[in-house]
Amino acid sequence: MEAFAGLLQGFDVALKPINLLWGFIGVTLGTFVGVLPGVGPALTVAMLLPLTAQLDPTGALIMFAGIYYGAMFGGSTTTILLNTPGESASIATALEGNKMAKAGRAGPALATSAIGSFVAGTIAVVLLTLLAPVVVEVALKFGPAEYFALMVFAFTTVAAVLGASTTRGLASLFVGLMLGLVGIDSQTGQPRFAFGVPELLDGIDVVVLAVGLFAVGETLYVAAYTSRLPETLEKMSGSIWMSAQDWKRSVPAWLRATAIGFPFGSIPAGGAEIPTFLSYSLEKKLSKYPEEFGSGAIEGVAGPEAANNASATGVLVPLLTLGIPTSATAAILLTAFQNYGIQPGPLLFQIQPDLVWGLIASMYVGNVILLVLNLPLIGIWVKVLSIPRPMLYAGILVFATLGAYSLHQSWVDLLTLYVFGLLGFLMRRFDIPVAPAVIGLILGPLAETQFRRALSISQGDASVFLTQPISAAFLAVTAALVVVPWLVRRRRASKLG
Amino acid sequence: MRRSGAEVALSLAVLALGAGVAFGTVFLPAQSGYARIGPNFIPAVVAFGLIVAGAFLLVEALSGGWRSMPEPAERTEHALHRGAFAWISGGLVAHMALMQWAGFVLAGAVLFACVARGFGSARALRDALVGLALALGVFLFFVRVLNVSLPGGWLTPLIGGL
Repeated sequence: MEAFAGLLQGFDVALKPINLLWGFIGVTLGTFVGVLPGVGPALTVAMLLPLTAQLDPTGALIMFAGIYYGAMFGGSTTTILLNTPGESASIATALEGNKMAKAGRAGPALATSAIGSFVAGTIAVVLLTLLAPVVVEVALKFGPAEYFALMVFAFTTVAAVLGASTTRGLASLFVGLMLGLVGIDSQTGQPRFAFGVPELLDGIDVVVLAVGLFAVGETLYVAAYTSRLPETLEKMSGSIWMSAQDWKRSVPAWLRATAIGFPFGSIPAGGAEIPTFLSYSLEKKLSKYPEEFGSGAIEGVAGPEAANNASATGVLVPLLTLGIPTSATAAILLTAFQNYGIQPGPLLFQIQPDLVWGLIASMYVGNVILLVLNLPLIGIWVKVLSIPRPMLYAGILVFATLGAYSLHQSWVDLLTLYVFGLLGFLMRRFDIPVAPAVIGLILGPLAETQFRRALSISQGDASVFLTQPISAAFLAVTAALVVVPWLVRRRRASKLG
Repeated sequence: MRRSGAEVALSLAVLALGAGVAFGTVFLPAQSGYARIGPNFIPAVVAFGLIVAGAFLLVEALSGGWRSMPEPAERTEHALHRGAFAWISGGLVAHMALMQWAGFVLAGAVLFACVARGFGSARALRDALVGLALALGVFLFFVRVLNVSLPGGWLTPLIGGL
């Protein structure tokens, strides 16, 4: 029981008063920022990154785990009361959650979402604890060819398989990969696409891209296209406690959703959108009260919320054990690691077990803090929602620009931020997914390094990717993921024709 | 048949980006060690990918519009509000220009007031004051507590900073 020993050691770290304090601060800040309309978990983590500048790595990462959980919970509150899902993974929650709030059952909706997140989050962390050492064991045998093939698989699922349109997903991915080229080539020291600008030689920071796309782009979009629409904030009404029937209907939904969400997150496929919708339609099918769906069925909130949380924890499996981020939030967490010179991957479990297991243990703790702190304080979080929109977005941009500026103390980063804001505005307007671009930027340079290392080892023989069995298997699955849906569509089309 | 000029333009932009990367690749060395590929190889792959994606987008845009876009009925948006867009863009550009010499606090106050104006606030003076207070608070916290250096600009004699 290596995992168990590691975890005990981790609790030793996570339960130190100072680390508990960081976790507590993280959860509180994460919830506060996450509640802000239009601010999803990825942006919350990105905007709060500068705050940890002075912390030791363990404390900082524990704080980030808290921010991550807090932001997810804060986002659900906004979704339910305001019907403005901050990210695609919350859309399914909005369907029933906002209807419940309209019917005066905001309390139970928020409660089932908070308790469901706790249950799903905790089960998912247990699964993470058990699964991580197994994956690490396998990953230690991976060479550059296997890593490269795995990254190609991650690129493909994130860009081509998950979104509404493969074409737009790929365009977004390649824009991200292109941005990843900017800077000094890690293998030869050759500057690429930096145009002699010193700020660009360092490469483009993932935080600047994420904040540009999510904060600046979103603000421009909301101001230009939705700010003049009327908005209704549902009152926090109804008891916060769930009735016996609410419990009876929520518990199975939470458990089923965890079973859907965790695997989806942990295979490098990323994206909580599919598991949340799968859970929603499953609950709709299984419910004894299908007629309530569309007017506020509690299973329709319990399921997607739990699925979202389980999948968000699942995403940490490839992030921690392989160093591969498969969601925008995970990409930013990876940046946080890299800022401390830490490269997640199988070796990290051997070199810095204190840090990894401390982080995992702090997720158990973070889930508990979230539940005991936030449910009673829900009234305060709801007040955040009534900040007037002009002030709210103005404040968001002051913080967004601060994060970019503090990188090099240079206006060039502010210009880059604005350019990414314009890009984000267009992507939002024309339904181009942003996650592939963020993941392309951070994973692209890592994939290139592995690719060139693999070729160095094989003396330039490119067949190495196909003759190594694990690498070949990853590439075969990747090809199948692209080709099979395409063939199915063609067959269907020709039958219709 | 739906055809959107914006979709065509964006598709062309992706193509142009691909062409630009391909052009830039020409100037990168091909030399290599054991790998037999140099720093120009992956940029060439990315250029190829951008051009292929752009070409597919263009074909879709010209043959009935991009596929599986949200239905107009699903979108809850009003017509483009140019003023809102311009105020926020102007605020960000002014902020960029002011940062180096007027300092973080004043630049932040201007940005705050411009964004609030973009969202339809009519009380510019109040917004500027709220922005000033917020930016000052953030400035002091980052400079004094977190030891992150930020430019004090014109207010340096009063509040410190770079």
